[in-house]
Amino acid sequence: MSAEHQSGKTPVLECRNVERRFGGLVAVTGVDMTINRGEIFGLVGPNGSGKTTLTNAITGFYPPNTGQIILDGKDITGTKPHKVAAMGVARTFQNLALFNGMSVLDNILLGRHVHMNPGVIRTALYWWLARPEEIANREVVEEIIDFLQLESIRNELVDGIPIGLKKRVELARALVAEPHLLILDEPMAGMNQEEKEYMARFILDARAERGVSVLLIEHHMDVIIGICDRMLALNYGEMIATGVPSEVINDPRVVEAYIGVGHDA
Amino acid sequence: MFYRLSGVRHSSYVSDRRMFQVPADRNAVIILLMIGLAAPFLIPSLYLNSYVLPWLIWTAAVLGLNLVTGWAGQLHLGYAAVMAVGAYSAVHAARFGIPWEFALLIGGLSSSVIGSLFAFTALRVKGLYLALTTLAMQFVMDWVLTHSPTITGGSHASLQSPPFALLGQEITSDAGLYYVALGWCILVTIFMLNLKRTGLGRAWVAVREKDFAAAILGVNSFYYKLVAFAASSFIAGVTGAILVATFYFLAAPEQFAVNVSIQVLAMVIIGGLGSIIGSYMGAALILLMPGVVNQVFSAFAGLIGLELSIETLAHIPNAAYGALIVIFLMVEPLGLGKLYANIRDYLMIWPFDQLKK
Repeated sequence: MSAEHQSGKTPVLECRNVERRFGGLVAVTGVDMTINRGEIFGLVGPNGSGKTTLTNAITGFYPPNTGQIILDGKDITGTKPHKVAAMGVARTFQNLALFNGMSVLDNILLGRHVHMNPGVIRTALYWWLARPEEIANREVVEEIIDFLQLESIRNELVDGIPIGLKKRVELARALVAEPHLLILDEPMAGMNQEEKEYMARFILDARAERGVSVLLIEHHMDVIIGICDRMLALNYGEMIATGVPSEVINDPRVVEAYIGVGHDA
Repeated sequence: MFYRLSGVRHSSYVSDRRMFQVPADRNAVIILLMIGLAAPFLIPSLYLNSYVLPWLIWTAAVLGLNLVTGWAGQLHLGYAAVMAVGAYSAVHAARFGIPWEFALLIGGLSSSVIGSLFAFTALRVKGLYLALTTLAMQFVMDWVLTHSPTITGGSHASLQSPPFALLGQEITSDAGLYYVALGWCILVTIFMLNLKRTGLGRAWVAVREKDFAAAILGVNSFYYKLVAFAASSFIAGVTGAILVATFYFLAAPEQFAVNVSIQVLAMVIIGGLGSIIGSYMGAALILLMPGVVNQVFSAFAGLIGLELSIETLAHIPNAAYGALIVIFLMVEPLGLGKLYANIRDYLMIWPFDQLKK
């Protein structure tokens, strides 16, 4: 199933007039956003503009105060994060949220949790009840390990691997859940050019091979222009521009928000 | 050296996930198991039943607490109370005429029910608050035990445990009782070893380390914490029942008082949170060390011709024992299990240390 075939006009995610306040602080307000199937959707904005709050509203950590969030045609506003995950949303975190004491393999296996049914009796009778499930899921995990070229560090502890690889492991953990919507929160922060190119390639391949839709938060404009189909720019929690990347980044308000406007004396 | 990993090649996921990856570990476990089985013929029954048997039972208890504290990361200060529930229900069931197999099961299940009912309310708070709430459970249970004659036979009373029997066969010999303790300890150990390679163990570690990351992976932290309390309480209940049936022979409230809870927690922490071999070591240290230190001191005093009063002899070992715990934890905060793991990791590549990554 090619990306072109998939990217019809069926929305995977719709945000309607989403607002989230923390006390008197309005973190996000009046955001309308639609991500279609097979699309890579960019979300940009200066620090503190509400990008992460918006993803937290989608994934259920901070349910919106007003507005609706619709996933695959179902209203998921206010649904708990673990249920949102089970409905097919996976994400990575800005500051990494891997489990340091566990191996790379176990971390990625955790990504399969939504497809597994672990329990006490199954664990006690491992050989008969848990092993078939573990092995079947291991095969899916190995596919992703192969896809993201993580074979050589499979058994390493996450603690001991470099940051670029950690980001890749987190992507693997998100992808292995076979999500409909993948939210990547600054997957390329702190990476060099080569690592960025690798990551961009992985995201494009993930869409092409797995038909996943992506919400990508990034500060690297070259990446946004390079791989996003459409994008949205936020500033102070409000939408300032949306559309095709090449147009959005030339929007005077986006330029002002990001770079600032010179004041002639 | 002894623990060589080279030459270990897995050709299937099944063998990649076997319990002991390193052949040397596997051999060591087999040897230890054989020693365990042969122990009644090797060790005088006085030592067997007053040291080895309680050590095995307490190890099972420590593993159960390690499950909830080491794996799922929930501090539990009311563990002895949960053991008491299991012990009293099992003894009452046995006195009622129910065969011991089912009495043990009843003990485990009632502990599990009480433990998870309690956890259901207590888990609304986290960390130190949870620790204090579990301590409250301990005090409630102490009060209930000393104030309800129908359960305990009244305060300061003890409840005689009927002779232990399995499959209709009465077990009264020292060796027989020892094998019961050994069997239960092995069962619990196998369960804990399986945790290291199943989704349940991974989910608990996820809840312990980062609950927000666990949630986004679809792990319902409240549910898994509850399951941890239920499973741990089951182990505690059966262990408490076995403790009474094979070691104390009667149940009394002070056997499950608050100091016992603290002691089991001390075993977990000194052994190492989340470490299985550490649980064995922690239980051994806390149980056996006072006696050993005592003997070392009196032997040493005798050697240099020092006359120690009974009073001094009773107090010095306590101080030394406390100091030992402090020293162990300063050398390796992650416990004896980690200390062992360090040595093992070192030997794994010795003498080619430069290969270390």
